[in-house]
Amino acid sequence: MEDIEDILASVSKPSIPQRTRDLQALTRAWVNERTSPELLPYPVDLVERVTDRIKTQIETIEEMTGTMDPKSNFTLVILQTELERFKFLVRSFLRARIAKRKIDKYALHCRQLAQTDPAILSPLEQQYLQSHQALLASHYSASFLSSFPQALQKLDDTSGGISMVDKPDEDSAVFCRVLRDAGSVEIQSEGGAADVDLKRGDVWVLRWSAVKDSVVTGDVELL
Amino acid sequence: MALPLPPGLTPSEVGFLCEMELVTVIPRQRLEGLELLGGPTQSLNPPFPAPLPLWLALLLKRQKRANISPPPWLSVEGLSSILQFETDNRTAEVFSPAPALPQPTGFGSRHDAYLSQDSLEFSPPFLADSSTTRSQSNALPYHWLELGHLLLTHASDDFDDPDTVRRLLRDLREVRMSKLRKGFKVLDAGAGVKMNGVGGMEVAEVRGFVGGIVDGLRKINRSREESRKEREAEERENGLGSSSYQDDEDDMQL
Repeated sequence: MEDIEDILASVSKPSIPQRTRDLQALTRAWVNERTSPELLPYPVDLVERVTDRIKTQIETIEEMTGTMDPKSNFTLVILQTELERFKFLVRSFLRARIAKRKIDKYALHCRQLAQTDPAILSPLEQQYLQSHQALLASHYSASFLSSFPQALQKLDDTSGGISMVDKPDEDSAVFCRVLRDAGSVEIQSEGGAADVDLKRGDVWVLRWSAVKDSVVTGDVELL
Repeated sequence: MALPLPPGLTPSEVGFLCEMELVTVIPRQRLEGLELLGGPTQSLNPPFPAPLPLWLALLLKRQKRANISPPPWLSVEGLSSILQFETDNRTAEVFSPAPALPQPTGFGSRHDAYLSQDSLEFSPPFLADSSTTRSQSNALPYHWLELGHLLLTHASDDFDDPDTVRRLLRDLREVRMSKLRKGFKVLDAGAGVKMNGVGGMEVAEVRGFVGGIVDGLRKINRSREESRKEREAEERENGLGSSSYQDDEDDMQL
């Protein structure tokens, strides 16, 4: 019985169109980014494919509006509704990335991240981060920092044991779903450390630091 | 422009996700297959049922171009059997299990890029047949509450007995919420709570509370956790036990 199901599954797998797979990927990217405490890598190819398709779809819709065929009117409504849904997804995804708690709030931390791993930010986000930081720094120095002693003017001082660079809380709790058996992770319970197995289909509340790698490999998704 | 919302999906965003679930519609009008951004749709030929995403089905329904057939679990029989499971004393600690999952389609590896095409695993709301007429009748899918609510609001005339279904849904919601609240007792700083079978809206509802408690407890217990880790590390190295006694004393004084 299982064999047949396996065969069916392997046959039906390629039949899922690329566009649907991209929608799944984009939706997951959005949910992950909306719920994770830290910035996740920027899916360059995915966003490019989706924005290209959105552009083509807009052109199609414009052509259809031009012909003013009463029959295609309803089709137009459907296409436009779907277009709006897609635009919302992409927009909300990008905005969640720049939101206060990601690029804006942890700007200096993000800059350090981007220096070690450039794939985490898109070129536009890099640009945004740079200019936003430049504006902030010049504003601070113009309004009060310049009257401080030279030694206290730094914004990213790490001496003295305490770093000025704010970092997201890597241990905060996240809701996640296991998509593929992903081995075990360590949890810190009252009685001491313990290991739990991550099995396909399980839903857990875990520390972000424990599942972060699995989220990036696609074994776990956030809820 | 940064998003001003706190982390975690809002209820309307969960509803948005739910609208991507496929449902079965029975068209009343012909409609050609459409090349949508999320993949092509089947052409509609009355009276043959076809699977469509919920947002599109609701659009057709509102314009009286189609009827929606509710999934088998969203029926009086399906919901009553699930409710029976939920209220049984023997299963008082757990939710009714989620629908059976198909085999995983791929293997992830460390080398794959984030969200790469080859190893993408499908999950709600894109799982095949979680809310079509071919779905499992004795299990609640992830978006059960949202889907039930939307169908009952916009397509109540497609149900045999919408009032009973509505009542059963409300009962289920209450039973499950009280289970969730009881489950909060086991929350601790470690954050390792299993919640199999939980629904999307339920997660949205308790996220702030659970997250806040777990994070708060973790901050309170941080020193204890750190000292325990240190002690364990020392024990592993077979070092002297003197500093761990010190830690214990500190705890006592606190």
